[in-house]
Amino acid sequence: MSAVCILAPVVIAAWPAFSAAVMAAAASLGYQVAADAAAAKSSEVKKQAGQVQLEMANSEIVTNQLGRDQRIQVTRDGVTVTFSRDARGRASLCVTGHGMKDAALQAMGEELSQRVVQKYVYQKLLDEMRARGFVVVDEQTDAQHAIRLKVRHWEG
Amino acid sequence: MGQRWLRLNKTMPQREFDITIGKDGSVELTVKGYKGKGCLEAVKLFEKIVGELRSEQKTNEFYEPEENVQYRIDQRM
Repeated sequence: MSAVCILAPVVIAAWPAFSAAVMAAAASLGYQVAADAAAAKSSEVKKQAGQVQLEMANSEIVTNQLGRDQRIQVTRDGVTVTFSRDARGRASLCVTGHGMKDAALQAMGEELSQRVVQKYVYQKLLDEMRARGFVVVDEQTDAQHAIRLKVRHWEG
Repeated sequence: MGQRWLRLNKTMPQREFDITIGKDGSVELTVKGYKGKGCLEAVKLFEKIVGELRSEQKTNEFYEPEENVQYRIDQRM
């Protein structure tokens, strides 16, 4: 062994990569993709009983499509989570649900938000490592939903 | 007495990485197979891919001599 280190994730992604991570995370937590951008926007207008707005720390959604409304909406058990890119370019999510307390909505939003970051980091690591000739020889997901990868690389 | 320098390079050394992506997306990386400071380059690569380095713990192998070592062999003529 040579070193052990802890890295904090930074999400800098174009919208397609980010939305792919959202869909992967949503599917793993039992959410379904609800609608396209237009439907998501129209549903937002409706008065919701409970609504919590969260921001994903250390995130930046890069885009060259200025002015275009980019968002993705997922639902589970009457709760709707809408991911979008805010004015500063950060990823944000709005969690809404009838008859639910803000704390419960916040917990659901944070759980999904963390899963999105995990899926994003997982995919980025796989893409970057494969591009550099690294080989994933083992992959497991443990009971705490942590993803464990064993990777080899031969240098010559 | 003649002297000869012989440079020995190990070919295709295997590096191994244990990566744990926590449920919040944080990454614990264990780098194996490096001797000396070579592992710092590997850590930098993962830092570039994932994000900010929060903590780093060097193991005993970090302080061992690097792999491209020159061996001195004395020959009696």
